[in-house]
Amino acid sequence: MKKFTAILLMLVMVLSLAACSSSTNSDSTTTKGDEKPIIGVTIYKYDDNFMSFVRRAIENFATDKASLEMNDSQNSQATQNDQVDTMISKGAKSLAINLVDPQAAATIVEKAKAADLPVVFFNKEPDASVLASYDKAWYVGTTSSESGVIQGEVIVNAWKAHPEWDRNGDGVMSYVLLKGEPGHPDAEARTKYAVDTIVAAGIQVQELELQTGMWDSAKAKELMDAWISKHGDAIEMVIANNDGMALGAIQSLNAAGYFEGDKFMPVVGVDAIPDALEQIKAGKMVGTVLNDAKNQGKATFELAYNVAMGKDPLDGTEWTLDDSKAVRVPYVAVTIDNIAFAEEAYK
Amino acid sequence: MSVNTIKKKLNKQDIGHFLMNNAIIIVLFALMLVIIALEPSFVSLKNFTNILAQASTRTIFALGVGTIIVAKGTDLSLGRQVGLAAVISASLLQAPNYAYKMYPDLPILPVIVPILLVMLITGLFSGINGLVVAKFKVDPFIATLGMMVIVYGVTSIYYDRPPYGAQPIGGLDPRFANVAQGSIKLGGITIPFLVIYAVIAVTIMWFLWNKTRFGKNLFAVGGNSEAAAVSGVNVGRMLIMVYILAGLFYGLGGSLEAARIGSATNNTGNGYELDAIAACIVGGLSFSGGIGSIAGIVTGVLIFQVIAYGLAFVGVNAYIQYIIKGLIIIIAVAIDNRKYIKRK
Repeated sequence: MKKFTAILLMLVMVLSLAACSSSTNSDSTTTKGDEKPIIGVTIYKYDDNFMSFVRRAIENFATDKASLEMNDSQNSQATQNDQVDTMISKGAKSLAINLVDPQAAATIVEKAKAADLPVVFFNKEPDASVLASYDKAWYVGTTSSESGVIQGEVIVNAWKAHPEWDRNGDGVMSYVLLKGEPGHPDAEARTKYAVDTIVAAGIQVQELELQTGMWDSAKAKELMDAWISKHGDAIEMVIANNDGMALGAIQSLNAAGYFEGDKFMPVVGVDAIPDALEQIKAGKMVGTVLNDAKNQGKATFELAYNVAMGKDPLDGTEWTLDDSKAVRVPYVAVTIDNIAFAEEAYK
Repeated sequence: MSVNTIKKKLNKQDIGHFLMNNAIIIVLFALMLVIIALEPSFVSLKNFTNILAQASTRTIFALGVGTIIVAKGTDLSLGRQVGLAAVISASLLQAPNYAYKMYPDLPILPVIVPILLVMLITGLFSGINGLVVAKFKVDPFIATLGMMVIVYGVTSIYYDRPPYGAQPIGGLDPRFANVAQGSIKLGGITIPFLVIYAVIAVTIMWFLWNKTRFGKNLFAVGGNSEAAAVSGVNVGRMLIMVYILAGLFYGLGGSLEAARIGSATNNTGNGYELDAIAACIVGGLSFSGGIGSIAGIVTGVLIFQVIAYGLAFVGVNAYIQYIIKGLIIIIAVAIDNRKYIKRK
């Protein structure tokens, strides 16, 4: 009996291994062509909602042009380094790398240099000195302060158009701010530049609360529960570093009876995820900022493809390089006025 | 020795016992006093119901894993099972007119159907945990560690799929959202539905622990499984039942969690197992098994919720909240151990 169960267990393990390996085989056969160059791509982790759209954009633009060697780095730089070695040995003509840890760029550049391969980093920005150290290294991304600036502009425009939002009529915008993970460059930049932009537009502000919601809907909802109970209608604006937290705040506001009748609270986020677009359409969210996944994927692929074919990276594209050899894809403000444009990004 | 001095001694011992047995409740009240001193507006009905509502799903999780702990086990896969339940129930209960549905052609289901379905699924995964622990004698820590990773993989495969990839599953059907976010008014007091579910879950579990053969066997197996086996308890079957029961609670709680948050991702529930286990231990359950009470579990959950809510209300730095939470876990277990040593 014991032997039988042992054999059964072994069978299960062998079968599951076989099942896994066969699925990876079919993956690589579908992406391999004859004349097309192999481009090695790593994504820092597959289940990041933004990166999943960048990944899809890269795949879409690569159809018929190149065969992609796609890797999920599972949020581990060590895994990614191994994947780079594998891609190089598989004969990739260029690398498109979404770093796990931006500080690790030098290691990747060393590997690429040794194999004389061009490398395009995207979405996570390596240090400028690393890009400068290798003539075949480029970057595709955004200017991280820009998302905060644009969020600030969305707030300024909406605030000026709705004087009634200043509930106590004191001419001061009393806001609460849901911050992302402290120390995260995006969280720091968005917090600073959103508020700076509002102040620069001549609006006086008062910070009622600022706490980290760790990018998380559930945490943001619980913070907002406490803040509504503490400040009530004294809160005149809810600023969130990302849409996930903005949506959490909206859940809390809903439960507290906001968005019914004329009880309203302006909420602003960043990312333009589908759920946030729906809330904007429902009138429960004022605006968000689109981090343009489609165009980041497009630029990443076009640069990686050009350099794989031995052409100039910008050959036949709409992009320009800045001083640090980087293509900066602009952020876009999204409100009810241009919601269709944002929805297009998910089609 | 006169009768009087004996009485005095007893009294002293009694007070000592009382302090030790209720130390954690005393800590809770001390913390609340500090919070109230810093922010007097903390004393309000709204805050009270907020805390209870936020503690509700956590209570359900803690009841599940608490039962396993009494049976001398543990369950690290709790958080990931909650995530699986949240993702599946959310995907099956999106609003019919939501533009980014996972299943665009799915008919409108009665809310209870997906909830029962995920309870079945988590009950199954948890049952496998129980089987591995009971029949293959794998240490519960290891068995559920493995299951934690497996379930995360399963959830991620389910979650990261076309047409929209790894997007938070939102746009929940208002019927479903209302299940967790709604409330009823009773004479001026707003009682969130969540609190009612938690009370029902607590009642059911209290009944199972204290009024059934299952409860007697649970404590017997947890206290001394050899002795239980000798006295005719089928220990293996008992363990499997305990894990399945916990799984049912995870499934229910996970669905409510999705409805409460309003969306779900494959990271929903991440780390909840540690919160739930910590609450159980602080509430007086022991990893040595066979010790614990439902009231203890509820107290443990409430302590952490009061701290989390109160400190956020006062505006204490999030990092300092971690330190306070950690200290409470260690102090509570230190006290618990003293009780245990004395009994020996």
